[in-house]
Amino acid sequence: MPSLDRPDDFQTRRAHLKDLSDDELHARFWDLANRIVQPLVAEARTHTTPAVERSVLLRMGFTGAEARDLVNGMQARGLLGCGAGKLVLVLANAHHLTVREAGLTLLEGRMWEELGV
Amino acid sequence: MKLSPDKRIDLRDVLDGLEDYRPRRKGWHWRTPAPDHKVGPFTYRNASEDLKNSVALPAAHAFGAIDPQCDFVITTEIASGRFEDDIRRMRMAAWHGADHLMVIRTTGQSHIDGLIEGTPEGIGGIPVTRKQLRATRKALDAMEDEVGRPINFHSYVSGLAGPEMAVLFSEEGVNGAHQDPQYNVLYRGINMHRSFVDAAEAKKVMADGGILQIDGAHNANATAKEAWKVTPELLVQHAINTAYSRAAGMAAENIALSTVPPTAPPAPKLRLDLPYAVALRDLFKGYRMRAQQNTRYVESDTTEATVTHVLDTLISRLAGADIQSTITPDEGRNIPWHYNTIAGTNTARQTLMGLDGLTDQVKLDMDGELPELAREIKERAILMMEEILDMGGYYAAVEAGQFVDSGHYPERHGDGIARDPAGGSGAGTVVKRAPRYGAPVCSHFGDNVFKDGDCKAYGGCSLCNPDKIRYVDELDPLDNVGERLKVPLDERDRGILRPEVERHGDGMVCVTLFVPAPPDVAEAAAIDMALHMNLKNPEVISKRVLHPAEGSVFEIKGVLDVYIDTAFLTLPTKVDLIPDADIEAWVRPRHIHAVAATVGEDEHSVGLREILNIKHGGVERFGLKCHDLGTSISVTRLLDEAERTGARVVLMSTIVTHADVHKKNMRRLADEATARGLRERLVLVAGGTQVTDEMAKECGLDAGFGRGTKGRDVGSFLVRELQRRGN
Ligand code: B12
Repeated sequence: MPSLDRPDDFQTRRAHLKDLSDDELHARFWDLANRIVQPLVAEARTHTTPAVERSVLLRMGFTGAEARDLVNGMQARGLLGCGAGKLVLVLANAHHLTVREAGLTLLEGRMWEELGV
Repeated sequence: MKLSPDKRIDLRDVLDGLEDYRPRRKGWHWRTPAPDHKVGPFTYRNASEDLKNSVALPAAHAFGAIDPQCDFVITTEIASGRFEDDIRRMRMAAWHGADHLMVIRTTGQSHIDGLIEGTPEGIGGIPVTRKQLRATRKALDAMEDEVGRPINFHSYVSGLAGPEMAVLFSEEGVNGAHQDPQYNVLYRGINMHRSFVDAAEAKKVMADGGILQIDGAHNANATAKEAWKVTPELLVQHAINTAYSRAAGMAAENIALSTVPPTAPPAPKLRLDLPYAVALRDLFKGYRMRAQQNTRYVESDTTEATVTHVLDTLISRLAGADIQSTITPDEGRNIPWHYNTIAGTNTARQTLMGLDGLTDQVKLDMDGELPELAREIKERAILMMEEILDMGGYYAAVEAGQFVDSGHYPERHGDGIARDPAGGSGAGTVVKRAPRYGAPVCSHFGDNVFKDGDCKAYGGCSLCNPDKIRYVDELDPLDNVGERLKVPLDERDRGILRPEVERHGDGMVCVTLFVPAPPDVAEAAAIDMALHMNLKNPEVISKRVLHPAEGSVFEIKGVLDVYIDTAFLTLPTKVDLIPDADIEAWVRPRHIHAVAATVGEDEHSVGLREILNIKHGGVERFGLKCHDLGTSISVTRLLDEAERTGARVVLMSTIVTHADVHKKNMRRLADEATARGLRERLVLVAGGTQVTDEMAKECGLDAGFGRGTKGRDVGSFLVRELQRRGN
């Protein structure tokens, strides 16, 4: 899209606003704000990112560096959409390991083939 | 760890046992209001609870050394690049009334896709790491106990590692954070999809941790040259971040809008800035206002900056605010120095105490032009939001350069910051969640097969069970605090002192020179003068032309490369005062007479009255028989009167010092007393603003007293001196 360049046409543009009461104006302001963020919120609800997944692993007891390596490995294998934390938890449960043991096993390069099933 | 007011903080104690240190509380703390609070002679209307320890404002000496505290939280930003130096500055700031201490991150941290560990040195800020946060939090916890008020610790949840930062902050007891995905997009060139998806997670974690959020809208007016023209956009940016935060689960009371009055004099500041302040507070009722002082126009003149900041703070009081954030007066010229950080903090503290209760007498005129002008800004903001939706939404509008355009919306100049929705750092890293996506932790945003609390199944996530937190110490064997502290700690142990403005031992000093010549000549001369003072690398950091021909004034910084060994210092010996009752018990039965006057052609009587008058705690209350002759009394007359009354004591006040007249007066008193054979019998004492004990003795007197002297200082001295002489 070309960048915008335009004189101040406030007086003509505001025609539909000028008769609104202050309360109506405020309601309109917040309605517009909510409409602008609505698709952004929807995207966040249904998507994830490496940083989000690392933050999940951090909460599960891994260091920043461990979380980074685990997430990179999952991303490379196209598994991030399952959720890094869930992948580690499922692996732990399947092998009666603690979450940390399961993660460290992956960091040693083992059991990756079992992820995501 | 416990601090004691007379000892410097020991950084070894701070760093000791960090692996097990846990913050004592989470979440933000507002000051506790103290309605109709009586402090000294005054009743305050906008006060909060007093501090246990503090340094009062300079003029407090006249009001019983009171140090009332305002109701707003006061922010100080601190960032030298080394957190160990920042900690010391934080302690000084806390003693001056700051309870929101903000650390700026090192340049480039936003673009690091992950966490940094350890304590490497930063540039323009510090690398925010777990160790650094924990050490600082631990030190702040000790400072809270020392000043007697909770201190909020604050940093930034932005960049490519926002969600991890948020988790880290919640775990480590960070109480406030900047979080605004628009900042990433507009000023950091981070991919917009990534920024918003990350932000939702970060905001959820912050919301559950009670962390106060500050948005990033103020950056638009720090960017724009005609900052008052971007006010409609500021409202839009505030609204986008606020609506997004609410959707992520953040409570209104934890959302603070970062607002800066956009202009500075000679612009007609208040008239331009108030409509925006009013519009913002109207639209965002129920949210918090973080009022920041203006930084856009500050260059090198610290007095100018201070005046602007006082006016900013006046706007906060008139329009209302919850946090008053300060800008150091040297913001425009260097990474802020210790004492300028304190000066900035005091600008807010002093102004807000001065404005206490103002709105009971002075109010914004909401019947005049103000509401109309505020309404115009609101309408302009609404028009901008309508156009954003027409363009296809936020991403499309950013792509078209709609934001940070210098035009007064709907005017557009085509100079906005445009970003490609598919580009930027972290582009292409956003992944769709699978239908059975899961994140088995608390405070997670969005679709998830798990819910909060499910983490119990594996012993709890780190937000429920802090034992899960994994502490990493240092990764770099050379670039870390232990290495950096070797020299400072060693020097400290050996009692070595150097001047400092920013970091231990930097040796930096600043001198002010007025040079009576045209600017170019004056500047060259000033630098030369600084070199003669032995300052290394002198640099002009401020210059003001006072007149194109008569002269200019310069502030010059340079390194004073010397150190002082405290072992070789001679300190003035402090005399313990004799208790009041003992002074009186000795003086009263002896019927001792004293003559007193302000001598020469000096009409100042206030100081002497403080020393004499019984009602002011003066020496009369000990039973000393004082004959106050008044002001502009000659030395001869003073001695005549001493003879006539059989006085043993002469109390001379000498305030005016032009042409050293105070020294001349003192010498004259000593000489004439000697010449008249009175010296043996009389105890000769002088006092005045510029008088010191050494100076008085040099002039032949027995003692001298300066600013802040009390009757008991003089009484105690007189008793000892008269006893020494065998009475
Ligand atoms: C009040 C005041 C006045 C009042 C005085 C009223 C009065 N009845 O005293 C008025 C307005 C009249 C006045 C006039 C002038 N003033 Co005037 N004044 C001040 C002011 C604002 C405060 C001084 C004061 O009272 N301080 C409070 C007292 C409690 O403090 P203090 O005097 O320091 O006293 C303490 C100690 O010094 C010590 N002490 C003092 N005397 C003694 C004596 C003994 C025996 C002992 C033990 C201790 C002791 O103990 C006291 C208590 O702690 C100062 C500026 C300032 N903010 O400091 C200028 C100031 C003192 N004035 C100043 C001047 C120059 C003048 C004038 C000469 C100006 C003029 N050219 O007309 C005239 C005086 C004319 C004259 N012939 O003397 C200058 C002095 C500069 C200098 N160092 O030479 C000052 C510093 C202002 C300035 N920066 O220009 N002044």
